[in-house]
Amino acid sequence: MMRDENSADSGSGLRPSRRRFVQAAGLAGVTGLTGLSGCLGGGGGGANEITYGIISPMTGPYGGLAEGQRNGAELAIAHVNENDDIDVEITGVYEDTEADPSTGRRKAQSVVEQDGASYIMGAISSSVALALNEFAKEEEVIYNPGGAAVPITGSNCNEWVFRAETNTAQMAEAVSDFTAENLGTNVWFHIADYAYGESVMQRVEKRMKDGHDINVVGRSRSQLGSTNYNSYVSQIANSDADVAVLGMTGGDLINFVKQAAGQGLKENVNLMSPTMTFAVVRGALGEAAYGTYGGVRYLPSIETGDNQSFVEAYQSEYGSAPDNFARAAYMSIRMTAQGIAEADSTDPAEVKDVLPGLEMDTILGPNQFRDCDHQAMNPVWPGELVAPEGGSGPAAVELGEMIDGADALPDCGELGCTL
Amino acid sequence: MSVATAVAEQVLNGLVVGMVYVLLAAGLSIIFGVMDVINFAHGELFALGAYFAFAIAGPLGGAGFWVALVVAPLLVGVIGMAIERLTVKRLYGRDPLYHILLTFGLVLIINDLITSVWGKSAQPFPIPAALDQPIALFGFTYSMYNYAIIVIGSVLALGTWLLLSRTQFGMIIRAGSEDREMVRNLGINIDRYYTLTFGFGAALAGVAGIVLGAFQNVSPTMGNAVIIPAFVIVVLGGLGSFRGAVAGGLFVGLVQTLARTYTPFLEGLIVFLLMIVVLVVKPTGLFGTSIGAGEHHDGALLHGAGGGVLSSETRAKLGYAAVGVLVLVPFLAELTGVTYSVTLLEDILIWALFALSLDLVLGYAGLVSLGHTLFYGVGAYASVLTLIHISPSVFVALVVAVVVCAAIAWFVGYLSIRVSGVFFAMITLGFAELFYNAVFKFDFTGGSDGLFGVDVFYGLAGLGIDPGEFEIPLGLFVFDGGIVQYYFLLAMVVGSYLLARRLIRAPFGSVLQAIRESEDRASFIGYDVTAYKRRAFVVSGGLAGLAGGLFAANNGYVAPSFLHWINSGEVIVMTVLGGMGTLYGPMIGAGVFVAAEDILSSYIDQWQLVIGVLFVLFVIFVPRGLVSLPRTVADHPTFGSVVRDQTSVTETEVEQHD
Repeated sequence: MMRDENSADSGSGLRPSRRRFVQAAGLAGVTGLTGLSGCLGGGGGGANEITYGIISPMTGPYGGLAEGQRNGAELAIAHVNENDDIDVEITGVYEDTEADPSTGRRKAQSVVEQDGASYIMGAISSSVALALNEFAKEEEVIYNPGGAAVPITGSNCNEWVFRAETNTAQMAEAVSDFTAENLGTNVWFHIADYAYGESVMQRVEKRMKDGHDINVVGRSRSQLGSTNYNSYVSQIANSDADVAVLGMTGGDLINFVKQAAGQGLKENVNLMSPTMTFAVVRGALGEAAYGTYGGVRYLPSIETGDNQSFVEAYQSEYGSAPDNFARAAYMSIRMTAQGIAEADSTDPAEVKDVLPGLEMDTILGPNQFRDCDHQAMNPVWPGELVAPEGGSGPAAVELGEMIDGADALPDCGELGCTL
Repeated sequence: MSVATAVAEQVLNGLVVGMVYVLLAAGLSIIFGVMDVINFAHGELFALGAYFAFAIAGPLGGAGFWVALVVAPLLVGVIGMAIERLTVKRLYGRDPLYHILLTFGLVLIINDLITSVWGKSAQPFPIPAALDQPIALFGFTYSMYNYAIIVIGSVLALGTWLLLSRTQFGMIIRAGSEDREMVRNLGINIDRYYTLTFGFGAALAGVAGIVLGAFQNVSPTMGNAVIIPAFVIVVLGGLGSFRGAVAGGLFVGLVQTLARTYTPFLEGLIVFLLMIVVLVVKPTGLFGTSIGAGEHHDGALLHGAGGGVLSSETRAKLGYAAVGVLVLVPFLAELTGVTYSVTLLEDILIWALFALSLDLVLGYAGLVSLGHTLFYGVGAYASVLTLIHISPSVFVALVVAVVVCAAIAWFVGYLSIRVSGVFFAMITLGFAELFYNAVFKFDFTGGSDGLFGVDVFYGLAGLGIDPGEFEIPLGLFVFDGGIVQYYFLLAMVVGSYLLARRLIRAPFGSVLQAIRESEDRASFIGYDVTAYKRRAFVVSGGLAGLAGGLFAANNGYVAPSFLHWINSGEVIVMTVLGGMGTLYGPMIGAGVFVAAEDILSSYIDQWQLVIGVLFVLFVIFVPRGLVSLPRTVADHPTFGSVVRDQTSVTETEVEQHD
């Protein structure tokens, strides 16, 4: 496809880099800077000091998720700074992308140029994350995306991007076998009409057909941000579908499931979405979510790695359990910091050579950014949403069998990246 | 299930959606019909209704929903009345543009207050238990709550209609919308009725919020999600016509639902296509009566020209000085280490160009384009597509961007310039939304992600500068690709400004200004008013396309957000903030706006609230824009007395304000 061609092209020609201008000409600034770092570094004692820019969509549709991202990053920075085993001192700077790629890029430029960050983490929507991918390559800084779209470490991957968030392809692995084996073989795909929805449909369909005899009885696409889904619910109800796979997230998913529940669709058709178990979705749906299915990227209750101590620390700091976005931000920064310690250098160019394939312990167990595309090899789970103890409130999640990181992640070539 | 039942079920679905739309549009339409106020904050009042209901229903349990359905709209109504008293009231008689701006500010304020009270995440708002079950009727199961929506919507629509047509209150309201002065002369305190009407419209929005909130969930973005559809319905039905709002709502609901099922490709497009067709065929909408609905306000657009206290020589000198500073900025940035200022300045320059382009139609031809981001976005897409498929030359890409946008502007102008005022605003908005939704649908536009990773070359046929390779050391400084990019951008923006100035000073510009001052007189003298406006619109579209193309070429990507209507709103804000009707005013406005947002959003979590409050104050107190500030200050009685006392001091003080 066209986008793949672009990324192949852009490898050859460098784009103008403001940063090179800064480096080459920055002589005038040097004296001022060394003077400053002398004061700041007083207590550091030889630690690798870096600045991490956290740019999250604090305003706009992802505001609720962005709070988790920011909190997770804050906590990771505090923990890395406290930890004597990781010889890194991080200063965090926080900015708002407003969920807009132009603003996101400008804010990235701001944390790099104003605050001296050479590491950035953030974004949730794929168009902002992809814009930051390009930015990281141009400016030669390390970037941890908070978005889950495959192309970020797939067709648009580059050597500066390291993703701790679980991607859509991994989630497809989590739910595909489970869906085909337990929820039915007559499948209806309903997606929100954008890149994420398309990639859910492609990946899940491909994986379900792989080894299962499934029958796609229908497909429908709603405009991103629709408020009304009755007509799709009617179409699905009037078909032979056993299960509807929903490639949508956030408000779209919430509205769809709520209206489907109202129309009685849940009684005849299983509803499954890779993001159904998200805390925001369960929180906003309440009872309407009981009896639906989803993929699990993360739950506070899981017992992998040092997750429980993370949950405890998060709980005491912010008064609520961490969600997936807090987890992803926390992991991003802690994993990258371990790379910095391993490289014993704060230079992102050196760190990016050490990080790939570096084995480390994370809150999701032993993990690494895979060599060939820098995607973290997170385990995933299928899950069923059930009524919680006490009978009302947000659904609880019954975890299915864990799928190991190595099994959940398709080959790099298949995802479109070879680094 | 038979085909007939399936169709019947979809028709029922259409009626449910339609009823929701009716509830949404009714209040908007009444407020416009009576007061000529285009209330962009309607969506936020709608959200506020849902949130109040959420807060009331939660603790009360079972009966909570019904209590909330009565109490929450009353609360929203009270807030609506307060808004009218404190802000909207001061703007009666001004062009609807100022209401758009004012309510744009209110959107930011209310939205920020909502998130600070109830958080940023969506909240559950359950359907009352009695209605929360599917029932089988006419051969299919259907949600009982959906039937309830139809009932609640019908009752409210009927009630409102009775109120407007059968009561004394309604009679006065209707009379007031026909002739405000006459009603006042009859001894009726029409202002009080206006306040009540605004409150009533707000309360209707609140009801819609509750009904829809239970249908989906309550979230801070729910207002934003419905405001554009609500406008479409009101315009389709006929601005200010209550009957039109009802018919328009049901009609759009039905068409949208049926199209969804039977022509899925048109999802997201059909509503805007419909709106454009209706406006072109019958500009007053389906049920609107007079095209003059937008014209019986007596206030004109308030431009900032002639408000300056400086002589033209001083102003020219200031202009040269400004360009001089802009030329030196990269070097100053290096010396001080504040290199981010160059990045920020590039964004400012692009927005300044965009604002300049809007000003040509808004400030000079008096056309309120609410869809100007169409040209900005299309320019960006055109230039990126050219860079990918045709040539890596920036020059070629920008020429393509300008030509494509000018062509689209000609077409849009051809269809829409004969309608004026609010209708023109809405038809341009319709076109912009049409393109916005279309880019999601195609592979060649990169869908929702957009297109990334474009290489540019500043030259033609292999001769020129490749910014990736370019580097000339110059003493302490290195003259590299980033600098080439900056100076190229600066040259384009300054060049566009000079071009615009040339146009405005030519006879063409005089005619435009004559049209703005009095369209009738200009056409009596014999000018083809429509043709002049259309030409201005073409030039404006081309310049906006250039702005978009420059941004895309500079940053190497394009995304659908370039076409989002919020850009159109922001560029209007910049233009008015700076002072429309002067070419430099909007550019200053763009600088202040972009810089203020950038700085505030870095340091204050509640930055939207701050910006919103500033807008509101600005629209009310400095409608002629920043460029009028020196004059306003100089004319102020307190300041005036100081001037009389110490004439020598004033000159310096005034200059500081400029």
